Amino acid sequence: MAQCVQSVQELIPDSFVPCVAALCSDEVERLTRLNHLSFAELLKPFSRLTSEVHMRDPNNQLHIIKNLKIAVSNIVTQPPQPGAIRKLLNDVVSGSQPSEGLVANVITAGDYDLNISDRSIKASVPWYSNWKDTLMELKESSLHTATTPWFESYRETFLQSMPASDHEFLNHYLACMLVASSSEAEPMEQFSRLSQEQHRIQHNNDYSYPKWFIPNTLKYYVLLHDVSAGDEQRAESIYEEMKQKYGTQGCYLLKINSRTSNRASDEQIPDPWSQYLQKNSIQNQESYEDGPCTITSNKNYDSNLLSLDGLDNEVKDALPNNFRTHPLQPDQPSESSNSIDGPDHVKSASSLHETKKANTGVIHGACLTLTDHDRIRQFIQEFTFRGLLPHIEKTIRQLNDQLISRKGLSRSLFSATKKWFSGSKVPEKSINELKNTSGLLYPPEAPELQIRKMADLCFLVQHYDLAYSCYHTAKKDFLNDQAMLYAAGALEMAAVSAFLQPGAPRPYPAHYMDTAIQTYRDICKNMVLAERCVLLSAEILKSQSKYSEAAALLIRLTSEDSDLRSALLLEQAAHCFINMKSPMVRKYAFHMILAGHRFSKAGQKKHALRCYCQAMQVYKGKGWSLAEDHINFTIGRQSYTLRQLDNAVSAFRHILINESKQSAAQQGAFLREYLYVYKNVSQLSPDGAFPQLPLPYINSSATRVFFGHDRRPADGEKQAATHVSLDQEYDSESSQQWRELEEQVVAVVNKGIIPSGFHPTQYCLNSYSDNSRFPLAVVEEPITVEVAFRNPLKVPLFLTDLSLLWKFQPKDVNGKDTEEVRELVTGEPEMIGAEVISEFLINSEESKVARLKLFPHHIGELHILGVVYNLGTIQGSMTVDGIGALPGCHTGKHSLSMSVRGRQDLEIQGPRLNNTKEEKTSITYGPDRRLDPIITEEMPLLEVFFIHFPTGLLCGEIRKAYVEFANVSKCPLTGLKVVSKRPEFFTFGGNTAVLTPLSPSASENCSAYKTVVTDSASVCTALVSSASSVGFGIGIGCQPEVIPVPLPDTVLLPGTSVQLPMWLRGPDEEGVHEINFLFYYESVKKQPKIQHRILRHTAVICTSRSLNVKATVCRSNSLEDEEGRGDNMLVFVDVENTNTSEAGVKEFHIVQVSSSSKHWKLQKSVDLSENKDAKLASREKGKFCFKAIRCNEREGVTQSSENYTFADIIFGNEQIISSASPCADFFYQSLSSELKKPRTQLSMHLEKHSVEDAMRLIRKCSEVDLNIVILWKAYVVEDSKQLILEGQHHVILHTIGKEAFSYPQKQDPPEMELLKFFRPENTSASLRPSAEQLSNLIKTSLHYPETFNHPFHQKSLCLVPVTLLLSNCSKADVDVIVDLRHKTTSPEALEIHGSFPWLGQTQYKLQLKSREIHSLQLKACFVHTGVYNLGTPRVFAKLSDQVTVFETSQQNSMPALIIITDV
Amino acid sequence: MAVCIAVIAKENYPLYIRSTPMENELKFHYMVHTSLDVVDEKISAMGKALVDQRELYLGLLYPTEDYKVYGYVTNSKVKFVMVVDSSNTALRDNEIRSMFRKLHNSYTDVMCNPFYNPGDRIQSRVFDNMVTSMMIQVC
Repeated sequence: MAQCVQSVQELIPDSFVPCVAALCSDEVERLTRLNHLSFAELLKPFSRLTSEVHMRDPNNQLHIIKNLKIAVSNIVTQPPQPGAIRKLLNDVVSGSQPSEGLVANVITAGDYDLNISDRSIKASVPWYSNWKDTLMELKESSLHTATTPWFESYRETFLQSMPASDHEFLNHYLACMLVASSSEAEPMEQFSRLSQEQHRIQHNNDYSYPKWFIPNTLKYYVLLHDVSAGDEQRAESIYEEMKQKYGTQGCYLLKINSRTSNRASDEQIPDPWSQYLQKNSIQNQESYEDGPCTITSNKNYDSNLLSLDGLDNEVKDALPNNFRTHPLQPDQPSESSNSIDGPDHVKSASSLHETKKANTGVIHGACLTLTDHDRIRQFIQEFTFRGLLPHIEKTIRQLNDQLISRKGLSRSLFSATKKWFSGSKVPEKSINELKNTSGLLYPPEAPELQIRKMADLCFLVQHYDLAYSCYHTAKKDFLNDQAMLYAAGALEMAAVSAFLQPGAPRPYPAHYMDTAIQTYRDICKNMVLAERCVLLSAEILKSQSKYSEAAALLIRLTSEDSDLRSALLLEQAAHCFINMKSPMVRKYAFHMILAGHRFSKAGQKKHALRCYCQAMQVYKGKGWSLAEDHINFTIGRQSYTLRQLDNAVSAFRHILINESKQSAAQQGAFLREYLYVYKNVSQLSPDGAFPQLPLPYINSSATRVFFGHDRRPADGEKQAATHVSLDQEYDSESSQQWRELEEQVVAVVNKGIIPSGFHPTQYCLNSYSDNSRFPLAVVEEPITVEVAFRNPLKVPLFLTDLSLLWKFQPKDVNGKDTEEVRELVTGEPEMIGAEVISEFLINSEESKVARLKLFPHHIGELHILGVVYNLGTIQGSMTVDGIGALPGCHTGKHSLSMSVRGRQDLEIQGPRLNNTKEEKTSITYGPDRRLDPIITEEMPLLEVFFIHFPTGLLCGEIRKAYVEFANVSKCPLTGLKVVSKRPEFFTFGGNTAVLTPLSPSASENCSAYKTVVTDSASVCTALVSSASSVGFGIGIGCQPEVIPVPLPDTVLLPGTSVQLPMWLRGPDEEGVHEINFLFYYESVKKQPKIQHRILRHTAVICTSRSLNVKATVCRSNSLEDEEGRGDNMLVFVDVENTNTSEAGVKEFHIVQVSSSSKHWKLQKSVDLSENKDAKLASREKGKFCFKAIRCNEREGVTQSSENYTFADIIFGNEQIISSASPCADFFYQSLSSELKKPRTQLSMHLEKHSVEDAMRLIRKCSEVDLNIVILWKAYVVEDSKQLILEGQHHVILHTIGKEAFSYPQKQDPPEMELLKFFRPENTSASLRPSAEQLSNLIKTSLHYPETFNHPFHQKSLCLVPVTLLLSNCSKADVDVIVDLRHKTTSPEALEIHGSFPWLGQTQYKLQLKSREIHSLQLKACFVHTGVYNLGTPRVFAKLSDQVTVFETSQQNSMPALIIITDV
Repeated sequence: MAVCIAVIAKENYPLYIRSTPMENELKFHYMVHTSLDVVDEKISAMGKALVDQRELYLGLLYPTEDYKVYGYVTNSKVKFVMVVDSSNTALRDNEIRSMFRKLHNSYTDVMCNPFYNPGDRIQSRVFDNMVTSMMIQVC
């Protein structure tokens, strides 16, 4: 139970005080009404005695009464109606509210403040243990205990409005004041008339109601004198007369109204009535039976209470849902009829109605001075001392005497008869009991009641000892008589007086109370008395800290019949729980909820709301979501009915925001309710800003922004560049690639340096992109914002009129800020156009993105703030599935049940900063500017389409496609470049010739190559042409990836488009290739903010295996060819068909083999089999052999070193001009990509320059730079049509004798290198040319007759002349030593049968000049016939000007066999 | 058998709460929540007297008109609350005790799961089945 202002020891005596009736003449009423008061009211503030009073008890002991209070009230003749009392109590409770600020304090924070009534305790950690400590503190400091003033005033009013009953006498009238005015014509007659009236009321049977304590009531005659109006002399004389007639003890002259009612009075008189009268004005409608008045704390009523009630009714009507009707509403008409009861106080009541209407303006007691106040006080004192107390004293004594005299015989007689009766007649007892329950057993003046009367009197004058013993005796008597109502009354009062006894000789008999309550409730069915009993008992128990007993008592009385009482009692019980030694918080909360429920049933909405709010503090954030939702929902509803709309909205918001475990139907109900409330809120303030909506959730960080138009879908054969779109997922790897590509092209444009202010162009901003800078958007190009919504509910959400909310600061055309920065918000279509999505459905628990567009029409700074939409649901959840399945069909059909317009802001948190020390130690976030684009001036906009672009190719296949470049903006564009990581994949053709048909349709069946028909006669001999690599764009810059697009005029005008041919060559590796193209372009007019724009395209090509080409080159041994030129080589080309798809590709035809080199050219095919058609079916291999010769030295000298000689060897009847596009383009590209590969670079040590030089020379000897291009045709069957595909493979030969492949060989994974712990030695070792290289310096060949006939019989010695040709392959002078007699060590040489000697000079030392051929004439000498190997000479060579290099044995020539025959 | 079974964390938030579907779920939530006060009271009362005995079963927490609420607390102060229909007289103290023991064993199994994060809501299917079996056994 909450703490009260009064202690129990004060409360109970104040609740039971002597009652005095007042019977006034009309004239008196008139006089007092000048003060806007009735006579009883006039006395009320002074009804407590200021001094102690003495009294003698029946034993003549002196008894001191402290703080005695009497209650004076006008006589009423009707008992109060139960309905009226209920209404009164209701009003009292609803009138008493905690301070306004508290109720409005709906707690929304995660950490909660526990508000118990008017106190707030901060609990920082939301766990119970800490919280409990706080509560303990709260309890211990008595200052911080909660008060419930509404309960106190309820209790006070309840006790006062108790109807007087027959079984107890506490609120029966003890005395009657008869008041007449001195201004009356015949005051004495008036007195006697009043006296008769009183007598009539008391003793006539017409009036049953006003109960009187004893038959001979004390009559006290009061003469009221109006000082300002009446004649004082006359009053005095009347008073004298009265004294004579009624005795000095029985009459009094009261002088009032010392001044006229003058508002202009400067004297400020305190107004002691004000604190009573508001309440009285309510009470007076029903009853003047005023009980004791206690001082209460908080009675300043708000004048707006009534208007609030009125609002309630309105609200009730407005709510569509099944809200309960006001429980008291049907009673209201009957109550109003009850409000006027008796003829006696009709006038006063009506007059008070007037005062009530006038209400606050009326000043009470305006005619009374302070002296008058003292006079009234004096009057009360006098009345109590002289009149009332002696009367009471006398009555007690009388009663006591009666009891003593009666005691002996009557008691025994009664008990004897009782025993006798009960023993014999059983049925009578049941009749007796029946009577008991009906309530009346004893007549009013029955002797059994005398002791009770005495006890009550003693109790009233605070003589609790005597009262207790009397009650105790009475209780026994009543119980014996089975008069249960009487017994219960006696028990109750016995318990109370036992508690109130000074010094507390005996413990409080709680069981008395329990019995009394039970009797009242169960046997007598009198809830009012039971309630009084409980209130008293609970208060007493509480004062003894027996909280749990008190709570149990309070809870036990809650019942169905009175919601208000149950609510109040439950609330008090809740307070009891929290006041226990170990506070039971959860019980507190639960009972608060129960109380709140009952309050709402009783129509006490504010109290209900308060209870729920307090309970909420316990349930909040503890995971008890079901309960929390329920409370929130109730709070929402109650707040709504109280017009606390903001609270209602926030409460409903909580239900929806939390991860709700409610069922779908429940959530739907919540949502509808929420929308309804919200709608009301927004209607109240229609011009205000949009409210923030809680649903659906927006994942702000997932917001993506895209600048530019939507991608145009493929248009017939045209295939648009993929570019960037919102449909693409973010891939960090590919974005890094694009970034590198852009850096490359920018570096090329800026002469190899990337400008410091360079940032890669971003068209799509997301959470991964760099959003630290303001993005740039181009005017007239749309900005698309993708917002990620999520619906957490199990019901679908339906958004309508969804659009973006933005702010715009325009700039003038010069790009400078206009003087005044205007901020425009949504709704300026001439600046920014916004797309509106009219309907957007999010199904239950679905995540969905919405793409919203803005069209900037003006340059400036745009800030996208959020989204604005109408939130609604779909009527009828049954159709949800259907709508979900067919969103398109149903749009526009589902009727919106309700929707509210609101907004949600997009607030994106930037990345966490982690660069500086401060950023690392603190948590700071960088800015995220993705929603704040700067609109810049117009830029050109390129669109690229691909025509005939293949998706699948054979490896090495050449295909021709077309690219269309279209400028769709209003600005000319220039500087178009394309950059790709795979430049060897495509070419736009050299600028040599654009001979192929320009339009794609014309080239339908044409070969991709440029061909010339040749006659078959020229087969086998090479057709030679030459071309410079410069023409093909090779070797211009160091960035072969960047390729300028050959636009006709280098400028693409607005609105124009151009188609260019483009050749593609299938990559050499099999598989799927993703090839990224980045198109770069600039505006003709330089823009300060955007230097360039880009367009991306990703082509996906699937390649399948075609041919494998392997080539080797070896030095020909024959020194002289047909033309007699010295240098020639053999080229062997192995071609393998590796294509495995036998169905598709039928066969490959090698149509041409071309060479391309600076120094070499193919001369002819050494085709032994003369097999003309070089075709290869699947898995077949073929080998070609070609002869290559050195080009004319002269040509090589005259032309630039970048000039390549092309030689074509044709197998068909068509020559493909290999030196033209596209064959040469791809060749050069493959060459350049080959060049990119890391080569063993010569280390450039300057001091060893000479060594280097030698090295180079030596290496040169074994090097060739011959490149072979194999051109083929593949016959492919596709859809029962035969297609001819063309292609080419490149083999680049570097070294003699080494195999080279057309496709990159798979490299073995490099072995882990051993870690070296010492410095590697200097690189001299590597400088020394290897023996193999050195052995290639000199080419040797022997010329001799194959067979030699010699007549051995004639001449035993056979001499054969042999010519040894030495040819210097290098360009340097070489010293050569030829040793004919060299001992060969190789075993196979020894095995050759027989040896022979060389005759003549056997060792030569020669010097060969560059490319010099020297011949030595040798003589071999044979003695037998047989076969001999002449290849025994050893040749050692070294560069002549080098001393460091040793002579090295030169490559052994072939075995040279000679047959010597005998003739 | 039981109409509502709840596992409450040490900090008094629900780890698991399940009631028979036909009943008003909210009512049981309130009931279980309110019973925690009694559990606290019993623990604090027991704390002094029965530290050694380690009696985990708290007995009847409080009876209402229709239900009886029983409590059980583990050594780690996790509370089990079981609401039983009052009309079911077949259930004696011993049966309740054994049911709680079963619940405790199953809860221990849940805690032993390395993928269970202590303090999270219990979502184990095994535990769920066990609770279901305890709830339908008799009724």
